[in-house]
Amino acid sequence: MRHDAEPRPFSLLSPALLVITIGLLLPMAMMFRFSLNRYSANELMTQALTFSNYARFFGDAFYLGILGKTIAVALASTFVALVLGVPAAYFLARLSAPRLKSALILMTVIPLLMGNSVRTAGWMVLLGDRGLCNAILIFLGISDEPLRILYTGKAVLIALVGAILPYMIISLQSVLEGIERVYEEAALTLGAHPATMFRRVLLPMLMPGIFSGSLLCFILAMNAYATPLLIGGPTFQMMAPLVYQQLTKVFDWPFASSMAFVLMSVTLASLVLSSVFIQRRYGRL
Amino acid sequence: MADTRAEAPTLSRRRLLEITGAAAAALPVYGAIPARADIGGELTIANWGGDWNDRCVQVFEAPVIEKKGIKLVHDLQPVPERKAKLLAEQHLPRGTIDVVHLSDADAYEMNERGVLEPLDLSRLPNYQNIRSNLRLPHLVTWIFGGIVMMYNPNKITEPPTSFTDLWNPKYAGRVGLMDQLYFNYIYAASLTNGGTMGDVQKAFPALLELKKAVQPRLYASHQTLAAGFANEEVWISAEYSARIIQWIKEGLPVQWSYPKEGAVVVSFGASLPKRGKNRDAAYFYLNEMLSPQVTAGIAEATSYAPGTTNSALSPDLRARLDFTPEQSAKMNFADYAYAAKNDSSWVEWWNKNMKG
Repeated sequence: MRHDAEPRPFSLLSPALLVITIGLLLPMAMMFRFSLNRYSANELMTQALTFSNYARFFGDAFYLGILGKTIAVALASTFVALVLGVPAAYFLARLSAPRLKSALILMTVIPLLMGNSVRTAGWMVLLGDRGLCNAILIFLGISDEPLRILYTGKAVLIALVGAILPYMIISLQSVLEGIERVYEEAALTLGAHPATMFRRVLLPMLMPGIFSGSLLCFILAMNAYATPLLIGGPTFQMMAPLVYQQLTKVFDWPFASSMAFVLMSVTLASLVLSSVFIQRRYGRL
Repeated sequence: MADTRAEAPTLSRRRLLEITGAAAAALPVYGAIPARADIGGELTIANWGGDWNDRCVQVFEAPVIEKKGIKLVHDLQPVPERKAKLLAEQHLPRGTIDVVHLSDADAYEMNERGVLEPLDLSRLPNYQNIRSNLRLPHLVTWIFGGIVMMYNPNKITEPPTSFTDLWNPKYAGRVGLMDQLYFNYIYAASLTNGGTMGDVQKAFPALLELKKAVQPRLYASHQTLAAGFANEEVWISAEYSARIIQWIKEGLPVQWSYPKEGAVVVSFGASLPKRGKNRDAAYFYLNEMLSPQVTAGIAEATSYAPGTTNSALSPDLRARLDFTPEQSAKMNFADYAYAAKNDSSWVEWWNKNMKG
C-alpha cells in the first residue's frame, strides 16, 4: 500500500538519535556517574555513590555566587542582544535591495566565521588600558586617565553581546521575513501608533524568533568559556572556566562533573520555565 | 611553555638524592646501554606545542635524534591535557607515549599516580651530570629556572630586593600577579613571613594583606602579564627568570632581580610513561637530552639555565642565563608531597580570596 512506502518518522530520526546517544547521552551518563564519586589526590577518584560534591557546591556561598553571576551575565547579555538585534533584524528583513541585503547579512555572520579566540583577542586590543576605546576617550577629552574596561564584568558583557548578537539577528530576521508587511500597514492605517503596532501586532508574531534567538544566546552565554577567561580575567569568575579548572588543574573530576551537571541542569530548567511562561502568555510557538 | 607546579621538599629531595646517587654509583653505567646501532623505529614524544616544541626540534631532536634514524611522532598538548592522557592510558595494555616532557612538580604528581616508570640509571650515563639538587628518580632534568622579581626599570629605579616589595603600598595598583602562578605567590608569602616551603599557613593572612595594601591586578597568562608591563598597567611582579630574560630579549621594558629570600625553583625535563613502546630509543633520547651541546642549545633557546654541570654554554651566555653560586645556594625547592596534598585547597583559597 502506498503509505507503507513512505519513510516512517522514527527511521528518519534514528541516525541522528544514534549519534546523539553515543556522542552525548552516554558521555553524560558517565559524567553523572563521576559526579557521585569521591576525589582522591592519588587515584583521580574513588568509586562511591555520594551526593557530597553537589552538597559542597550548594553549601558554599562562593560557588552559588558564581552560578548566580553566570545566570545574571547570561540573562543580561541575551537581553542586550535582543534589544540591539530587533531593530537590526527588522531593517535587514524589510530591506528591498537584494545585493545590499546579502552584503549586510554576510557582515552579520562574519564574526561567526572566525575563531572565538581571535575575536576575543580583538576585544582585548579594543578594550585594554592603552586600547582603541581608551585612546578615543582620552583624545576626545572625555576622560583624563584610561578607564578600566578590560578584565571587568562590563568587558565580559560587551564581548559576550558581540559574540551572541549574530545568532540573535539571524534568528529574528528569518522569522521577520515570514511576516508580511500588510499586517503592520493594516495596524498603522487603522490609526495605531508605531509603538502600539509593534507591541500588539509585530511582537506576538515575532515571538517564535525572539524565543529561539534568546534560547540560543542564553545557552551560549551560560556556557561561555573563552570570553570570561580572557576578557574577564582571573577575577571575573564564571561557571565554565571554573569547571575546566577543576577538571584539568585540580584533577577533581567528581566535583567538576557535579558542577557541569549543575550548569547544564540550571540552563535546561531556565529554558523549560521560559518556554512554559511564553507559551502561556503568547500561545503555542 | 605552559605553567606548571613546582618543586621538591628539601628533606625528601636530599633523601632522593642519596638514593639516586647511591644507585648511580653502584651501577656499571655503560654496561646495560644497548648498542647504538640497534636503536631506531618510531618514538612518540608528548610535549608542549608552539615555540617550545619548535626549539626542542631545532636544537635537539632534528640534529641528534632524527639523525640517528629514529622517526619522531609528536603529541603536542598543554600540561593538563598531557597529564589527563597519561592518566587515561594508565589501564591500557600499551601506552601511546614513549617520552613525556614535564616539569618537576608535574612529574612528581604523575609518578605518585603511578603512570611513570622509574628511571633505569644504568641506561642513562649522562644522568650523573645533572646538578645534584635537581636529580629526581622519575625525571631527566635538563633546564631549570626560578621565580624572581620582575620590574619596569623606567618606573622603579631601585631594583626590588625581596618578595616583600610586592607588598609595598607605593606600588598600589601597579602590582601584577599571574593567576596560574598562585602557588609561587603562596610560597613567596610564606618565605617572607616566617613560613617555609613545607608549611605555608603564614602565607594566607599575608596574601590578604597584600590584596588590601596594593590591590594587585591578576592576569590570566604570562602573555597577558607581559602585555600589562608593556602598556605600563603594572610595574612589578614575580615571574619565572627565563620568561623575564626572554621578554628583555624581545624589548619589553623589564628587568629581573634576585629576591633575598631565594628564588622558588622550577625545573623541566622528560620522563618515561609506563608501557611505552620503544624503550631503547626512549633511553637514547633521555640520555642525549643531557649532552653538553644539547643542554647549552636548549638553555640558549629557552633562556632557562642548564640543569647539568657540564653544559657547553659560553661564558657570556652562562652569565646571562645561569644563577651565581650564591643565588643557587639560596634557592627554595617545594615540598612535592606537601604541595600535592594541599594543592586543591590552595586553588580553592586563591579562587575565593584573591580572585573574589
